[in-house]
Amino acid sequence: MVNNSLTAAKNGPVYDDGVVRAFSLAAVLWGVVGMLVGVIIAAQLTWPELNLGISFLSYGRLRPLHTNAVIFAFGGCALFASSYYVVQRTSQVALFAGKLAWFTFWGWQLVIVAAAVSLPLGFTQGKEYAELEWPIDLLIAVVWVSYAIVFFGTIGVRKVRHIYVANWFFGAFILTIALLHIVNSAAIPVSLTKSYSAYAGVQDAMVQWWYGHNAVGFFLTAGFLGMMYYFIPKQAERPVYSYRLSIVHFWALIFTYMWAGPHHLHYTALPDWTQSVGMLFSLVLLAPSWGGMINGIMTLSGAWHKLRDDPILKFLIVSLSFYGMSTFEGPMMSIKTVNALSHYTDWTVGHVHSGALGWVGLVSMGTLYYLIPRMFGRKQMYSVRAIELHFWIATIGIVLYIAAMWIAGVMQGLMWRAINPDGTLVYSFVESVKATFPFYVIRLLGGVLYLSGMLIMAWNVIKTATSGKYEPVPIPAVAAHA
Amino acid sequence: MDILYMLIPLSVVLVFAVIGIFAWALHGGQFDDLEREGERILGADETAAFPPSGKVDSDQGRQ
Amino acid sequence: MAVAPSMTSSVASAASANDLRALDDPLNQSAFTTWTQGKGGEREATSQFRLSGLYCAACAGLIETALQGVDGVLEARVHSATSLALVRWDPRRTRASALVEAVQRAGYGAVPDAAASARTLREAEQRKALWRMFVAGFCMMQVMMYATPAYVAAPGDITPDMQRLLQWASWVLSLPVMLFSAGPFFSGAWRSLRQRRLGMDVPVALGIAVTFIASSGATFDPGGHFGHEVYFDSLTMFVFFLLGGRYLELRARHRVALALEAGTARLPDSVQRVRDDGSTDVVAVARLAAGDRVRVPAGQAFPADGVLLEGRTLADEALLTGESAPVPKQDGDEVVAGSLNLRSPVLMQVLRLGEDTRQAGIVALMRSALTQRPRLVQQAERLAGPFLWTVLALAAGAAAVWSIVDPSRAVWVAVSVLIVTCPCALSLAAPSALLAATGALARRGVLLQRIEALEGLAGVDTVVFDKTGTLTRDQLELVQVRALREGDDAQALLSSAAALASLSSHPASRALVQAAAATPSAAGWSEVEEHPGQGLQARAADGIVWRLGRQSWVASPASTGDTDDEALWFGQAGRVLAAFELHEQLRDDAQATIERLGREGLHVALLSGDAPGRAQALARRLGITDVRGGATPADKLAAVAAWQAEGRRVAMVGDGLNDAPVLARSDVSIAFAHGSAVARSGADVVLLGERLADVAIARVQAKRTLRVIRQNLTWAAVYNAACVPLALMGWLPPWAAGIGMASSSLLVVLNALRVSRIEADEG
Repeated sequence: MVNNSLTAAKNGPVYDDGVVRAFSLAAVLWGVVGMLVGVIIAAQLTWPELNLGISFLSYGRLRPLHTNAVIFAFGGCALFASSYYVVQRTSQVALFAGKLAWFTFWGWQLVIVAAAVSLPLGFTQGKEYAELEWPIDLLIAVVWVSYAIVFFGTIGVRKVRHIYVANWFFGAFILTIALLHIVNSAAIPVSLTKSYSAYAGVQDAMVQWWYGHNAVGFFLTAGFLGMMYYFIPKQAERPVYSYRLSIVHFWALIFTYMWAGPHHLHYTALPDWTQSVGMLFSLVLLAPSWGGMINGIMTLSGAWHKLRDDPILKFLIVSLSFYGMSTFEGPMMSIKTVNALSHYTDWTVGHVHSGALGWVGLVSMGTLYYLIPRMFGRKQMYSVRAIELHFWIATIGIVLYIAAMWIAGVMQGLMWRAINPDGTLVYSFVESVKATFPFYVIRLLGGVLYLSGMLIMAWNVIKTATSGKYEPVPIPAVAAHA
Repeated sequence: MDILYMLIPLSVVLVFAVIGIFAWALHGGQFDDLEREGERILGADETAAFPPSGKVDSDQGRQ
Repeated sequence: MAVAPSMTSSVASAASANDLRALDDPLNQSAFTTWTQGKGGEREATSQFRLSGLYCAACAGLIETALQGVDGVLEARVHSATSLALVRWDPRRTRASALVEAVQRAGYGAVPDAAASARTLREAEQRKALWRMFVAGFCMMQVMMYATPAYVAAPGDITPDMQRLLQWASWVLSLPVMLFSAGPFFSGAWRSLRQRRLGMDVPVALGIAVTFIASSGATFDPGGHFGHEVYFDSLTMFVFFLLGGRYLELRARHRVALALEAGTARLPDSVQRVRDDGSTDVVAVARLAAGDRVRVPAGQAFPADGVLLEGRTLADEALLTGESAPVPKQDGDEVVAGSLNLRSPVLMQVLRLGEDTRQAGIVALMRSALTQRPRLVQQAERLAGPFLWTVLALAAGAAAVWSIVDPSRAVWVAVSVLIVTCPCALSLAAPSALLAATGALARRGVLLQRIEALEGLAGVDTVVFDKTGTLTRDQLELVQVRALREGDDAQALLSSAAALASLSSHPASRALVQAAAATPSAAGWSEVEEHPGQGLQARAADGIVWRLGRQSWVASPASTGDTDDEALWFGQAGRVLAAFELHEQLRDDAQATIERLGREGLHVALLSGDAPGRAQALARRLGITDVRGGATPADKLAAVAAWQAEGRRVAMVGDGLNDAPVLARSDVSIAFAHGSAVARSGADVVLLGERLADVAIARVQAKRTLRVIRQNLTWAAVYNAACVPLALMGWLPPWAAGIGMASSSLLVVLNALRVSRIEADEG
């Protein structure tokens, strides 16, 4: 029988943190880039001349660059980093097929760069959050399958029998995204830069929003819930409030998410009954979502004072509040009568960004602030006060953003539906645009603040990286027998 | 809504897949002793792991 | 030095080395260890232990570390939620006793988990039930999703082929529910039909089957005579809720079993058997044979009926007689299995074992006296048959009538009738409440060995107490020291007396020793003689002979003394110098409990085999007027029979083996856990917590439970009376019938759960 020493042996097995470090740094980089593009297009919405007549700076081309950059580049790298970190630590083994993990890193960066090039050049499939053309789609599929192999392979060789709940969320996220991506991106190529969707018309719309909403549900929710369920307990040094509830939360979410898609298509050509079903199940989704939120926040029960002094916990816990808010707002907006007002207005944009900036952004930042020092052999970031400053700037930015969008959205909806007694519209469309202007300014300000926070983070990360040195972390080994 | 001819059977297959995964988890003892598992990641449970031959419920050292 | 006997069923009993070695006896091991082939072909053992002392999350890890530190341990897993440990070990390198020692060194307790197999079965049962429920629940949700369009769409909105698609999908997803989740209902129905009985499962199974068949017909042949309505959502929901109710019931049942097991787990017994060459080996009691010679140290129980070969000692035969006055034994005297060797190590020869011992004989007699059957369950079963026949008849009748009025609804009306009248409320009403109540009591340390005893307990109007060990504690208490000669120091006399008394293990002597200010030294006393029934005599260092015991014996060497004394007298050479008054220690809550029972209108009596004078004295202290002392077992039996002849319902609270036949005869029997094993095993209620107050609490709980059961039965009747006509009229679609039945059952279970908390003591 092999007897290894309990203490860290220099030549003993160590965790595979290189790729975690790479993804963490990439996340920060792409966060800055994606948010910068976001600020640019927000500015363009405010002052449309800002595309300067240059085709690849036009709003229509930059918008998908923004969405892809923040969701897949920033969010994606954060998910890669945290899932690779968590699966190793909770399984007590190094990554399965470590080289393949590096392939996923470089492959993903290639996807991002290809997106950054192709989208401004105007190459697009025209499907929201799935704009990238077919060669890049193929690359995504290859990288994703590799990701699944690495992740599930690591679980397969784990040394701890129980699979921690965060890994269930990560696993579900990986598998469903694979399915969604492959089904939705099915296309017939006609040239290297052009393809046609395998589906047409309202059928395509249904598939697109089946994909779209589940992408939100599994990429932006399940994946980041996995992050939350690990890093909040670790940072708070307390176990999840009710571990049993977290398991129930997971399975409840799995049950109900698949059918919520049609709520993106209210009052369109989609049949009425499909829309109604979508509305109904979006409402049902409220319960499991809030279960998870309560579970995460209550983890701090008995230790609320930690929130005062720990800015990382502030990021993590406040992110959950925004998660709760969004998962309440979403079902409300999927009610047909509410949707009749909100659809196509900036309220939808507000809703997206409360979830994206508030939930996804803040939880990723909190996680990265936990991870990055450890990637450089440190316990804490170079400047904890900068984290605190980042938190407050980001939060103010979020509040400005969503408040502006709520007001704008409701106003737009009301203006659009206002009709005179004789049935003509009260307002012309351009009048509603003009009325929206001040809110776009406020939203731009909110976005600038959020970007500034991210820049502070980037500075902090650079200082941390250059002042620390990574020490390999040994994997706990077999105890010596007396 | 012809696309439902694809989406609905796909969902049914997914349901069976999910049932299968839950079966594997339940019979593999994933739902035993849940509260302790919640605490395990905090490293409070300082027990020794075992030789590679077996999977165990133990954890060791701080993470 | 004699050791005070104690028979405790607590899990963490102090283990001597002998006890642990018994763990290594293969005969004992088979109860908690299984043997397998390891990877290299070598034999491996897997043992299960019940742990004690776990109070935190880290404890489980500490125990695992301790176990893994033992050379030869291959794997150790502690399940903190149930305090159980599973250890895989190499029999060539270590022993089971070494495992327990390792746990004890870490500061925790471990006893073999003999209930392992029962528990494994329970866990498997629970897992299977949970699994069935999950499949039903998951499929139910998906089927409801596919059914929703039909509910929300206006007629004509959904194209017929889309409708067919949705119905097909629903059908596919209902298959797992029908073929797997609903399995227990079908097999249960089949079983009862084979026995030519109509069990509860029959209408359920029938309802499910008909719903599925008719819905399938509608799916595959929309124009056919099953119509085009499908009810897969009702079907799956119905199965899910039924399984949910049964799962709750299962959990409650298991909780009670768990509490019972925890209360009775202990280390196996072992003895020192003397071989012909004079050497001894430690063996399990089960291994003894008639004719074996066994060395029994002071403080251990005699393992079998036998005869003393060597040595003189005192035996505590309280388990037979109920009294703690020790019986002197010397070579040639017979000893009884289970009685305790109080004084000195002796050698005995085994005459009778196990089934043949006197103890076992009494047990057998007692068991034959127990022929009770739960009245409530009997009643429910008697009603169930006719009820179910009525349901089936109504369903068939409804189908017949409707097939004339409106054929497309005939099937669905019949289904609704079957489903809505499911007698689950009837069959759940009593069991769920009984289970919740027993679980609550078990948590408090009151074990109901027969669940039906709750019913008896609620109807009791007379409570009879035994004296020694029941109303009183085992020990005597010194309450007063009187120096009889002017100028003598009472405390000094007490110290000398205590020093002398330390040489004896009589309860009175022990009381003196306990009361002495400092641990008395027996040095200086010689020629110690114990005179059974009289007292202790010894010569002090100064040559004077002192006596400690009955007054008449201390005062005059010649007299035989009387038996009615409550005091211990101390004196020398015919002169009594000090009197020590001893009282039996009442249990702390005895007074309060007697008063409470009196307030609640119960007649309280005291039946004791002890001297009438002592019994009277105690009764006076407690305010009990109905006292019978000096009662033999036959007297006690006659007394109980007389009360019952008057129409009273008697509860008996006792602990000795002699009480055993009486306990069986009474309507409800309550025994303390420390009492003889026989009285415990025959008692309806076992008090683990050693609290008399639990008698009153258990009774109140029993009354509450009966009240809840009556409420449940009333509700079941009202509900059925209201819903059946509705279903017959066709006003209750199957989905509503399913919801109604499920909610009704849920209501019954929830109402029953109200008794799962013991109400705080009144006053």
